[in-house]
Amino acid sequence: MAAPVLETENLVKIYGRGDTRFDALKGINLEIGKGESVAVVGKSGSGKSTLMHLLALLDGPTHGVVALEGRPTGDLSAKELNELRNSAFGFVFQQFFLTPNQSVLENVTLPLKIAGVPAAERKRRGLEALEQLEMADKADNKATDLSGGQKQRVVIARALINNPSVIFADEPTGNLDSATSKVVEDILFGLNRDKGITLVVVTHDEDLAQRCGRQIYLVDGEVVPNLPKSTSGVGGERGGQPGTRPASSTTGPLQVTEPTTGAIVTLSEADAAEIARAAQEPPRAGRHAAPSTTDQPGATA
Amino acid sequence: MKFIDLLRTAIGNTFRSKARTVLTVIAIFIGAFTLTLTSGIGTGVNDYIDKTVAAFGNDNALFVQKVSEQSTPGSNEGDGPTEYNPDEADVRLGFGSVSGLTDSDIDKIEKIDGVGSVDPMYLVTPKYLESASGKKFKLSLGSPPEADGLQLESGKAPERAKDEILLPASWVEPLGLGSNQDAVGKSVKIAIGNAMDQERTFTAKVSGVSQASLAGPSDNPIPSAGLNKKLYDYQVSGSPKKVPNSYFTATATVDDMSKVGAIKSELSDEHMQGRTVEDQLGMFRAVINGIVWILNSFAIIALLAAGFGIVNTLLMSVQERTREIGLMKALGMSGGKVFGLFSLEAIFIGFLGSAIGAAVAVAAGSILSGVLSNGLLSSLPGLSLFLFNPVNIAAIILSVMFIAFLAGTIPAMRAARQDPITALRYE
Ligand SMILES: Nc1ncnc2c1ncn2[C@@H]1O[C@H](COP(=O)(O)OP(=O)(O)O)[C@@H](O)[C@H]1O
Ligand SMILES: [Mg+2]
Repeated sequence: MAAPVLETENLVKIYGRGDTRFDALKGINLEIGKGESVAVVGKSGSGKSTLMHLLALLDGPTHGVVALEGRPTGDLSAKELNELRNSAFGFVFQQFFLTPNQSVLENVTLPLKIAGVPAAERKRRGLEALEQLEMADKADNKATDLSGGQKQRVVIARALINNPSVIFADEPTGNLDSATSKVVEDILFGLNRDKGITLVVVTHDEDLAQRCGRQIYLVDGEVVPNLPKSTSGVGGERGGQPGTRPASSTTGPLQVTEPTTGAIVTLSEADAAEIARAAQEPPRAGRHAAPSTTDQPGATA
Repeated sequence: MKFIDLLRTAIGNTFRSKARTVLTVIAIFIGAFTLTLTSGIGTGVNDYIDKTVAAFGNDNALFVQKVSEQSTPGSNEGDGPTEYNPDEADVRLGFGSVSGLTDSDIDKIEKIDGVGSVDPMYLVTPKYLESASGKKFKLSLGSPPEADGLQLESGKAPERAKDEILLPASWVEPLGLGSNQDAVGKSVKIAIGNAMDQERTFTAKVSGVSQASLAGPSDNPIPSAGLNKKLYDYQVSGSPKKVPNSYFTATATVDDMSKVGAIKSELSDEHMQGRTVEDQLGMFRAVINGIVWILNSFAIIALLAAGFGIVNTLLMSVQERTREIGLMKALGMSGGKVFGLFSLEAIFIGFLGSAIGAAVAVAAGSILSGVLSNGLLSSLPGLSLFLFNPVNIAAIILSVMFIAFLAGTIPAMRAARQDPITALRYE
């Protein structure tokens, strides 16, 4: 495995206190190597997004450490955290979060604008990023005038624009039909492969998870080893090229090891059944269901 | 984020929900419009008063009059009759007399610290003025020094040594003198009686025609100093016993205006009253300023109401843009910059409303001023009801922008505090 870009040590996140106390993450230890593509898989409410937010330095843990390139981030000031997120990370969300009245180009260059990059350079780099995603001709369109797949490409262009070392994608295809999903996935894995950008994908789509080099399975805020799946087979045959993918040290399902003890975590049969259900959860079920909630007028598209 | 990008983004955002922005801008517009107009009236009228003060001559002139003791409530002498003083000089009028200033009073005024020269004014009460055609008009005369500051329609001020008179424009036609220009050089007669009630006429040449003014002295014909003295001398002649000199008022020139207060109190110790031109116009100015401030306070109330409009508009905006704010914060924008962004939106709305309001008010006021000076207010040449001072207008716009900023702090703070995660989880 390449040198870890992100590591966590005993990461705990507790929401609320007393009667409303909820332990969303219960001591997560993991390492994500440079250039890896990692899927965080689990059913709704298992703590995937919470874990991603902690890894992306959007939130602080209740206990434990998140280290970026070997440097613990707990002592960083709000300003340093802002700058780190702005320069090192790219974000793709299930919802597009495009600003409706602004042009595609303006949306794509938002991270550069926040970083204080001059307008001319923003435009140049923005067009470059759109070019990569074959969206350059839509640069002056309003973000709202695009189809779902086009919007997600714009979002990926925005995630790319600052040459991030890690792209976090939370349910990136949750809102797209399967054909478009495949295109978006190809783009993301292409970036991972060609540019060596580390990819952290949060999903409950087992097919997408299998395209990643490694899967981290979450159940109720804890990491569990994945279960071999009888139906979907091993690895990412659906268009993926396992051999060319960096990072993954195994071609099959990854066994999650307890970093401190090195022991392989074993599961009870009940847990195993639970995980299996989680893994089979349909892609557009549950809280992320209705596409109509994502295109509210007046709000971000 | 650079300031220029912040500003551009803020301006772009204000036009996102146009209807809401327009309504808020209208509310501010009304306040700023009213404030600009009332401030214009204040400037216009005060400017006119200043011009009028200039027309009175020196602003360091103190007009001194005798105060009759009975009419001075609160004087130390107490109530009851005042003892007769044979030296006290009365100015004789057709219907009686008033206490006048004596030569010794003039001396006293001259000796007060800070007073330069003192010019007594002779009270001349002619019987009538007779036109060339023999028509007679009641006549009271203005005082010669007043002629200097007046705006003239034609001719010039009467010369001290000549028997000349300055006529108000409104007298020219009744006297049958033709136009203002024709009148200059023509003669009129002034009849006056002496102590024995013997009447005599003096001939005076019209030296010029003066413009009317709101508070100026030009409602009366003004003789030259020489003619005035001649008329006075005849008026007090013919008495069997020598009448002591008596003056209705005297003009004291004050060298050092900072001493005016002290001079006035010394005068009042001597039963005299001194008033500057400013004092004489003070009441008028106070009334105008009072009206202006009442109107201003309405405008300020309107602006405060508009401030709540801004709070409301931006709170709705923050609500609607929860996810956008969350995204910007996730992408590394600091809370301070988010606060700045919403504050700038508030300030820009304030700027739009106040700049448009002020511009429309200036246009409307200038047009109205023009119409009024040719119509309703044509009898007051030199008065433009609205005068717009760039400094005042800038001050109005800046204050409105500041009010807008204050109003914007509440929503801006709410936006700045927003947690990106909550915003991004929002579904
Ligand atoms: N701010 C919060 N306060 C209380 N509970 C929260 C909060 N955010 C998330 N949770 C809870 O933590 C759990 C994990 O949430 P999340 O990480 O979003 O799950 P996932 O992304 O796997 O669906 C859920 O049960 C959720 O209700
Ligand atoms: Mg989630």
